[in-house]
Amino acid sequence: MSHSDTIPLHPSSQSDIDEIENLILNSHHSSVLPARPPSPPRASIPVSSTPPNPNPTPTFIPSNLPPPSIPKSTPTASIPRAPVPPPPGSTSTGGIASSGFGPAPNTLTEPVWDTVKRDLSRIVSNLKLVVFPNPFREDPGKALRDWDLWGPFFFIVFLGLTLSWSASVKKSEVFAVAFALLAAGAVILTLNVLLLGGHIIFFQSLSLLGYCLFPLDIGALICMLKDNVIIKVVVVAVTLAWSSWAAYPFMSTAVNPRRKALALYPVLLMYVSVGFLIIAID
Amino acid sequence: MEESFTTLPSSHLLGSVPAVVGEGKKVTSQEVPGANLQIFPPNNGGSGGQGYQTLGATSDGAAQEPNNNWKGFFNIYSYTQYFNVDTDIVLNRLISSLYPIQGDFVSKIDANPDLYGLVWISTTLVFVIASLGNCATYLMHRRDDHSTPWNFDVSYLNMAAGSIYGYALIVPLAYYFLLQYLGSSASLVRFWCLWGYSLFIFILSSFLLVIPVEFLRWTIILIAGAASASFVSLNLRSYIQTTDLTIVAISAFVLQMGLSIFIKMWFFA
Repeated sequence: MSHSDTIPLHPSSQSDIDEIENLILNSHHSSVLPARPPSPPRASIPVSSTPPNPNPTPTFIPSNLPPPSIPKSTPTASIPRAPVPPPPGSTSTGGIASSGFGPAPNTLTEPVWDTVKRDLSRIVSNLKLVVFPNPFREDPGKALRDWDLWGPFFFIVFLGLTLSWSASVKKSEVFAVAFALLAAGAVILTLNVLLLGGHIIFFQSLSLLGYCLFPLDIGALICMLKDNVIIKVVVVAVTLAWSSWAAYPFMSTAVNPRRKALALYPVLLMYVSVGFLIIAID
Repeated sequence: MEESFTTLPSSHLLGSVPAVVGEGKKVTSQEVPGANLQIFPPNNGGSGGQGYQTLGATSDGAAQEPNNNWKGFFNIYSYTQYFNVDTDIVLNRLISSLYPIQGDFVSKIDANPDLYGLVWISTTLVFVIASLGNCATYLMHRRDDHSTPWNFDVSYLNMAAGSIYGYALIVPLAYYFLLQYLGSSASLVRFWCLWGYSLFIFILSSFLLVIPVEFLRWTIILIAGAASASFVSLNLRSYIQTTDLTIVAISAFVLQMGLSIFIKMWFFA
């Protein structure tokens, strides 16, 4: 660690990793073998020896820390003790060494736009997997392996907002009811499957139920724009069927086949109640 | 031979270990010592899903476990024993809740009471009376005045949820404590199961209550209320050993009628 500009702290006040690193660096025989390569400088802004990389891919750039067998020389980069996230938009994206920690440290210092883009692309890919016909739908393990909760969050809030905009009176109460119904409903549906002896992962199921709201979101948007009751009923019926069809394979394969209807009925109940809210709010 | 152990009335005592279970456990453990331990941690529904009453030799040991497999209030696998039902069983129980006179519902649920009926029947009832209540109110107003706009009152949902969930949770609890105090044996889960299934007839009658004819509505709700109330009170009587506790059954009847009248007056006015 940098002893050139900081007063070396007492070893006991350092973090565990720092302690281990010190042990490694100070004992040239490397009697303490690290379980993985020595940690890179966490969140450091590299000096100009490495040019800024316009393509922010997580490439492996050797850290400034010398390997344990070489006597420690003064490091060229100043290593901050605490991870300091650089200001967004900085050009230091390519300069972060990734070794042993996986991609996680990289995302801490990338531009915000990259993070947002990555999350958006994950939402879109999950949406395509869940809601649109594709060959992986029958396999619940594959269907939503890379689940996330941003998509469901957006869809639930969007549905609540749309219903609230459509309502003429008690707007805030409508939003509260819709949000509570959807959020609590997703949790309760997942618990229902678990209680019936099914095998699902809690958050994966929450994620899937949230993504299956996407057709109802579209239906709510159309109903907000068009005020005719007949059109509303038709649109809601179609989107309701679409949502149920999207959720069906996942839910039905999660439980014992003799209890399939018991697991699917509450899903249908929730979507029908949301559909009714969409038709009824005006 | 082993099945009789599962129908022992002591199975409703949570956390208790009936003495005879030890014998059964020894028998199976001699054959497959490791099997019991393996079945324990994963979900009980995996073993319960193979059959709810008649089980093979090795899975019989596992059938004993779910009754006493209480892992704590916050562990979800403690509650799977109350959801150990299949679709056909639930349908059977729903249909039998429509017969007010038979009074044998309690014997059906004795071995395997379920809370699935309570949760989802009451939830369905909340949604149905909130939505159909709005429709019915609108139709009534339109009959008098043809130009009233459709107005969806969201407070119906709040009131429905509060009243139905409150009734379905608190009334069986009160009766459980009452009967415990009066000395009769009672089982809270079975009471919840009974009252839960008794609400099913209100779901069906709510669809009929949309018809905007006042006399017809009153007739329908009174018939449905009477059927449900007699269902509850007749089945409650089997828990009452002595006859001078008939007042308990009558009070249950009155409460259920009160609920039905409340539903009519608040939601289908």
